[in-house]
Amino acid sequence: MKRVALYAAALGFMVFAGFPFYWMLVTTFKQNRDLYVGASDVSHIPWIFNDPPTLDHVRLLFGETEFPRWVLNTLIVVVAVVVITVAVAVPAGYSLARLAGRWGERMGMGIFFTYLIPPTLLFVPFSRLVALLGLHNSLGALILIYPTMTIPFCTWLVMGFLRSVPWEIEEQAMIDGYSRLAVILRVAPRLIVPGILTVVVFTFTLVMQEFVYALTFISSVEKMTISLGVPIALVRGDVYHWGSLMAAALFTSIPLAIVYNLFIDRFIQGFTMGAVKG
Amino acid sequence: MTKPRKGMDRREFVTTATGAAVAVALAPTIWIKRQQKTLKILQWSHFVPSYDGWFDKYAKDWGTSQGVDVTVDHISLADLGTRANAEVAAQQGHDLFQFLSPPGAFEPQTLDMADVVQEAARRHGPILDLCKRSTYNPVTKRWFGFSDNYVPDPGDYLKSIWTEIGMPDGPATWEDLVKAAPLIKAKHPEIQIPIGIGMSQELDSNMAARAMIWSFDGSVQDANENVVLKSDQTLEAVTFGVRLFKAGMNPSVMSWNAASNNQALNARQTGYILNSISAYRTAQDNKLPVADDIFFVGALKGPRGTRWASEHVMGIYTIWKFAQSPDTAKRFLLDLIGHYRDAVLGSKLYNFPSFPGSVADASVPLAQKPDAGARWLEQVTANDPFGSNPPSKLKPISTALQWATNIGHPGPANPAESEVFDTFVLPTMFANAATDRMTPKQALDDAHQQVKKIFEKWRAKGLVAGGSGDHA
Amino acid sequence: MTRRAVADREDVLGVLMLAPSLAYVILLVGVPFFLAILLSFSNATAGSLRFEWAGFGNYGAILGDPIFQRALRNSVVVTVGSQALVVVLATAAAQVFRATFRGKRFARFILLLPWAVPVSLAAIAWTWIFDSTFSVINWTLKAAGLLHGWLYWLGDPALALVAIIIVQAWRILPFATVIVLAGLASIPQEIVEAAIVDGAGFWRRLFQVELPLLLPVVTVAVLFGVVYTATDLGVVYILTGGGPANTTHVLPTLAFQRGILGADLGQGAAIAVFLLPFLIVVAVAMLRLARRAEVGAR
Repeated sequence: MKRVALYAAALGFMVFAGFPFYWMLVTTFKQNRDLYVGASDVSHIPWIFNDPPTLDHVRLLFGETEFPRWVLNTLIVVVAVVVITVAVAVPAGYSLARLAGRWGERMGMGIFFTYLIPPTLLFVPFSRLVALLGLHNSLGALILIYPTMTIPFCTWLVMGFLRSVPWEIEEQAMIDGYSRLAVILRVAPRLIVPGILTVVVFTFTLVMQEFVYALTFISSVEKMTISLGVPIALVRGDVYHWGSLMAAALFTSIPLAIVYNLFIDRFIQGFTMGAVKG
Repeated sequence: MTKPRKGMDRREFVTTATGAAVAVALAPTIWIKRQQKTLKILQWSHFVPSYDGWFDKYAKDWGTSQGVDVTVDHISLADLGTRANAEVAAQQGHDLFQFLSPPGAFEPQTLDMADVVQEAARRHGPILDLCKRSTYNPVTKRWFGFSDNYVPDPGDYLKSIWTEIGMPDGPATWEDLVKAAPLIKAKHPEIQIPIGIGMSQELDSNMAARAMIWSFDGSVQDANENVVLKSDQTLEAVTFGVRLFKAGMNPSVMSWNAASNNQALNARQTGYILNSISAYRTAQDNKLPVADDIFFVGALKGPRGTRWASEHVMGIYTIWKFAQSPDTAKRFLLDLIGHYRDAVLGSKLYNFPSFPGSVADASVPLAQKPDAGARWLEQVTANDPFGSNPPSKLKPISTALQWATNIGHPGPANPAESEVFDTFVLPTMFANAATDRMTPKQALDDAHQQVKKIFEKWRAKGLVAGGSGDHA
Repeated sequence: MTRRAVADREDVLGVLMLAPSLAYVILLVGVPFFLAILLSFSNATAGSLRFEWAGFGNYGAILGDPIFQRALRNSVVVTVGSQALVVVLATAAAQVFRATFRGKRFARFILLLPWAVPVSLAAIAWTWIFDSTFSVINWTLKAAGLLHGWLYWLGDPALALVAIIIVQAWRILPFATVIVLAGLASIPQEIVEAAIVDGAGFWRRLFQVELPLLLPVVTVAVLFGVVYTATDLGVVYILTGGGPANTTHVLPTLAFQRGILGADLGQGAAIAVFLLPFLIVVAVAMLRLARRAEVGAR
């Protein structure tokens, strides 16, 4: 009985989370005349292929757009932003948690608040800055600007994370004769690894999602990221290329979900480690 | 237009100074742009995909022959405003920026195109009045843009359905739509939206709202840019819109985007839409059987016989004041107009030339060019070379010049009209009344006050005239 | 000797390690933000870079504007509604996914999918799902005999808000579930066992033991979701564009429409800036709550 409820609940969540993806899958391979049928026609079942499936939409996505290029661009930006974020936010978080004393937390809060500023209008001043730096229409613009979204949050996150990591290990190391700097360079990194993982995941998500800045700074098709290039190239005038749009969404999210899935356990473990040892 | 600017103004100074500070702090590697001949063009993805193919090749070939490195970027129409803002804020971007409705607000940032217009007129005869009124600001006496094409906005209807209800040639008046709706419903209960006219925040709805108001003899402004939206005529149009909605539509039209009416027509879920021929071309491209059933009618008549429709889109090229190759850009435009017959064909008869003389045979003397061009256009639309069945299907749009007009009609396009357009005040007015959230009178009042505020703001900036004749 | 001293000077190290982050935040967030605030006090327009002081004119104009009031209300409704939904669903989902069952890996993979899809693409997919004419939801309900009229998902103001809330909840749920799972795993096993020994059933255990201990973690998850939802432009912009008749605007979309599309930068900035004090208040309150709960639970 309990098992049945469990499976039913699991199924319910799968349906809620997954049904748009099933819909994407069907739409990706559907012929247009199978797609454009009003929903009031009960005899035409939209969940299945009423006409033979087609590869046309996938062909359009890979053959007539720069999709592979956008994937590559997205990866470049993601990696660069992750590196910058980790390099800047992790030391800052450590500093606020361990070195800054009482004002550390207030400051952390202050930095966190900048994360709350809506990007809707920051982009006007940003575009001037990007132009002055000569970064217009280059991935460099995104690599420069995206950390403004990730650093505030991640600094705060690392700070919070470290406050739940026991101080004793570092203290012991100092008693053993390490300098403060040596503790930071040799002992602390091991303690922060799970926190860094969270930072990476978070940064990854944000960069994958972002659209407004990308639209503002990038105008050449071959320099776009996925979240920008796909809608720009496949919403043409007053035509949505539904099949190709869905294909792009699907081919982006499935590999990414597999990756997330692979280290979600470590993500959870990391969180746990920090808290349980306290 | 105004006095030449002295140095920098305050905000510019703040931005520049902080920007420079950051630049120094963060990037010792500012590179200086190499001086080579380039031309950067940004335009909206065309509604008929084959045009982008034609244009990109044309631009590339032009570049090769002129020794210019040409790049063409395409973005979707909904993102034009964002990009334009970004380029202005950056004071950097493309040399040619093509809008699809009059970009009045950007006038202070654009070059005066008077010389290009004059030169094109010298070669091909005058520009259409409709296009002039979309690109020329009579207050500042400047051409803030250069129109290469306009697109008619006819009605698209499914002939089989209209034949069944005894109107084989489709509707002729707005009233016909209200009459037809229940008949269509009775014959075809599976059709969800017998008459598919959008009332939402998108392009087609914007055009439809204007067509209705104008055909009922109302308008947003008069010829002298006074706000006259609140009038018995507009009220009549709004009241009619409510009747039409209740007779032939359902709330889905409140949520439509630019693609929705095409999709509904192509799925036979509506019998009539207001749209350019792109919906039809899409049906052809997708080999949907419905394509053969789609036919066209011109603008519908209002109660007193007036018939107006918006141009559906208007291609307007601007050159930013900060553009790097303004002269190359101007040359490009002139040559493009010189090849406009190819452009019209490349767009599968979607683009109509702003300079009708440009599609005439080269041998025709200047004085006869406009007429010859118009005749050619009439011939080619009457005998569609792109697979129409029957080939005469597009004939109704050849009369577009009799009923197509500009945003701002009967006055010129201006920044205030652009803002009214871009913030969707008019379709919202219709939606407010149609959904009974407001009475037609309240909806009109509400819209009128918004429009007045917008006009007053732009008048204060010296870009819009009128005011003395505003309705209360 | 001095080298050693510097290596032990906490204040010096602290400043050095903090400096890059601080510089980034001040130069690349603070300065542009200051400019955005200046914009909100000006009557700047998109086509002109001239700055003219307008005082509180923009704020006065938007406060008296019913569309703005509606957008403000929608922002609150969407944020609160979606986060309430997320808290309930994520807590429930975490209960399911802490158990072991066949096919769990696959189920978890499906659950994580919404996290992996770029929001601009997800919103487009949902637009198609909710399209009043073609909605697969309507078809299914109709075919199952559950629907007699018709649901105009994005065409009816109330349903459109429901649709927006569903999409926002859908995209935050995976992240929230993962965080709650992490919180559950960190609850000391002894406490739970003690509760079982005391004879507490599933529900009592859940509400009296686990949920209070989960509070800090859930609060952080919610805070994250609040920020994500309240500042989001894409979902509403793509799903409804603020329609029908401006009834589903939230502050970011209204700011975008007025400031960018309508070219009134000053007013757009005022609308966008308006959100910030509320977000800060919410953030402070929730962080306080999280900390108090954490201290209390120890």
